[in-house]
Amino acid sequence: MLLATGVAVGWLLRTSWRDRQNERPALVVGGWLVLVAGTLGAAWAMGVMPGIAAALALAPLGLLGVVAQGAIRREARQPRDRAALAPEPLEGTSRAWRGWIKGLLAGPLGMTAAMGIAFCYAVWMPGALQTRLLIAALLVPALWGLAMTWTLADQRLLRSTAVLTGTSLLGFGLAFLKGMS
Amino acid sequence: MGRSNQTPKGGLYRPDIVRAVLSGHSVLGIAFAAVIYLVCLTGALCVFQQDFTLWEQPGLPRVASVSDAAVVHAVAQVAPKVGNETLYVAFPDADMPRLRLTMDNGREEHNWIADAQGHIAGEVATPWTEFLTTLHIQLHLPRSWGGFIVGLTGVALLSSLISGILSHPRVLRDAFHLRLGGSRRLQEADWHNRLGVWALPFHTLVSLTGALLGLSTIIVGALAMLLYRGDTEKVYAMLLPPKPPVDARAAPLPDIGAMLATAHARAPQANPHMMIITHAGRRDASVSLSEERPGLLAAQDSFVFDADGRIMQEKHPGGLTLGEQILGSLGTLHFGWFGGVAVRIAYGLLGIALCVVTASGIHVWLARRRDKGRAAPHWERVWASILWGQPAILALTAVVGVAAPEMVEHVATWLWLGLTIASVTATAVLARLTDAGIRNMLRRTTGGLLVVTVLVYLTRHGVSADGVALNIALTVLGMVLAWPRGKGRLSAPAVEAVEPMAHSTMG
Repeated sequence: MLLATGVAVGWLLRTSWRDRQNERPALVVGGWLVLVAGTLGAAWAMGVMPGIAAALALAPLGLLGVVAQGAIRREARQPRDRAALAPEPLEGTSRAWRGWIKGLLAGPLGMTAAMGIAFCYAVWMPGALQTRLLIAALLVPALWGLAMTWTLADQRLLRSTAVLTGTSLLGFGLAFLKGMS
Repeated sequence: MGRSNQTPKGGLYRPDIVRAVLSGHSVLGIAFAAVIYLVCLTGALCVFQQDFTLWEQPGLPRVASVSDAAVVHAVAQVAPKVGNETLYVAFPDADMPRLRLTMDNGREEHNWIADAQGHIAGEVATPWTEFLTTLHIQLHLPRSWGGFIVGLTGVALLSSLISGILSHPRVLRDAFHLRLGGSRRLQEADWHNRLGVWALPFHTLVSLTGALLGLSTIIVGALAMLLYRGDTEKVYAMLLPPKPPVDARAAPLPDIGAMLATAHARAPQANPHMMIITHAGRRDASVSLSEERPGLLAAQDSFVFDADGRIMQEKHPGGLTLGEQILGSLGTLHFGWFGGVAVRIAYGLLGIALCVVTASGIHVWLARRRDKGRAAPHWERVWASILWGQPAILALTAVVGVAAPEMVEHVATWLWLGLTIASVTATAVLARLTDAGIRNMLRRTTGGLLVVTVLVYLTRHGVSADGVALNIALTVLGMVLAWPRGKGRLSAPAVEAVEPMAHSTMG
């Protein structure tokens, strides 16, 4: 059922988004509503959390089936310069030391800053102890990932260093001040 | 002109921001591609860990359910071998229809299987499945280091997902585009983006839970350093069940039957899932029993008994905190062990999709370098050797695992490591090989080895109900992979004949 839901969602959205001339909001809304309905159906049949989790795994397969069904085969063509049409990564005269510093910022310092915020959450936020701990634990990889994205994109190393160092000191300091209770 | 023709120009999708994020996405992807690919490939296989366990050692008793008396009998039989250590009793369920008893004290490990009456039928020996699982969880490094690297890989994957979305201004316009055959770069970018975007919730879920599982040791360690002078036990004590005061004097085995009866009476809708007998044979023994019921992701009924059978802690679904529910669901959600075979297959396919996302990202980078006149043929060959070399090496370890299970425990890790180093080194230095040739050869080798695995299996075990489904799947997959195809298209002459990609999100 969830596979069929994915197929139906894919078909509705693809039909809408393929029409370059007209807005087709009904199909877009319909597509997302079918997804919500399928997820609710799975939650009803399997239990709330197993149903939602199963929908996250099975519906995308149906959607990807629609993508594969609509694949276009093209003939191989001679190269021509269309690079201007595509987003291209920045290619400055990057130096090795900048790469190492970015690595340190995205790695150890990003992790420390993420832990600082997460531990602050665990210590200062209201709620059951286990809930605060688990949400804080989930925050660590999530915030670290965000910090990694930002520091690798940001060309201003001093700004990244200052923000991550400040966040780490503040986070760990505030968490240490109150302690776990 | 309709909405879908417009490319957002402002906010997060400003061209300078997109290019900067794309740059970071590219660097991160290139730096972590090999380990992300390995972790995702082994993860996709580990989804079927229970199926591999049944397959690897067929013929042991299948048990749909067991009586309390059978459990008591089984525990009594292994108790003398367990001594004062911890014993784990895993109850049978639909996915793993075996009654398993495990003793693991860090120095030695025993896994027994009991039949429906509780008679010990033998010891479990599934070294290849354990090799695969350990490779996924800790890369066969010491637990803390290996777990950290896998956790860091999860963070890198999470960050790549974020930067991938942020560097894709036409995420809606391109949502259903899959253009094959024209430009290598465009084709790979379409695979990269379609598989990355439509399965994004799944990718996010497994990378977040995987990162947390891998980083848990360092998170607990850092929290303990900050608040408890490094005493990690105090952090774990906030999450784990209570323990009785230490009393190492000898005592008889706790009355397991009475405890199971108490649990049945107090939670009649729940079925036993796991029992952990800590310090069996001591006065400070405790018995922790977790139970599961339909409609929940993880076991949410739990009891902790002391050695005299008194309930020290009792929890049921309505009384659990959100944190306890998350803690119980992490592993289940990460591996897809909650919705039967359909969900496992979906997890396996989406895990492979994540491998394709990783591989296509590197292909886009390599094709872009060629388009710009900076081809890196050695990297093309090295990547080809990783892309199809890892499945081939894993398939070879499976052949060894089936042919000589008593040997694979000792050689699998070194075989995998040695062949990985050898294949990467060989492809890096042997310039006369093309990446397309390497891919073709290793793909077909993988297919051939899968078929050989099944043939060796059938020779050794015959046709067994425990192995039928996996043997059919491995045979079909092996034949598909081994089937001859046209040459790959990233070899030097071929790639020169295709145009550069127009809409890549991977540099």
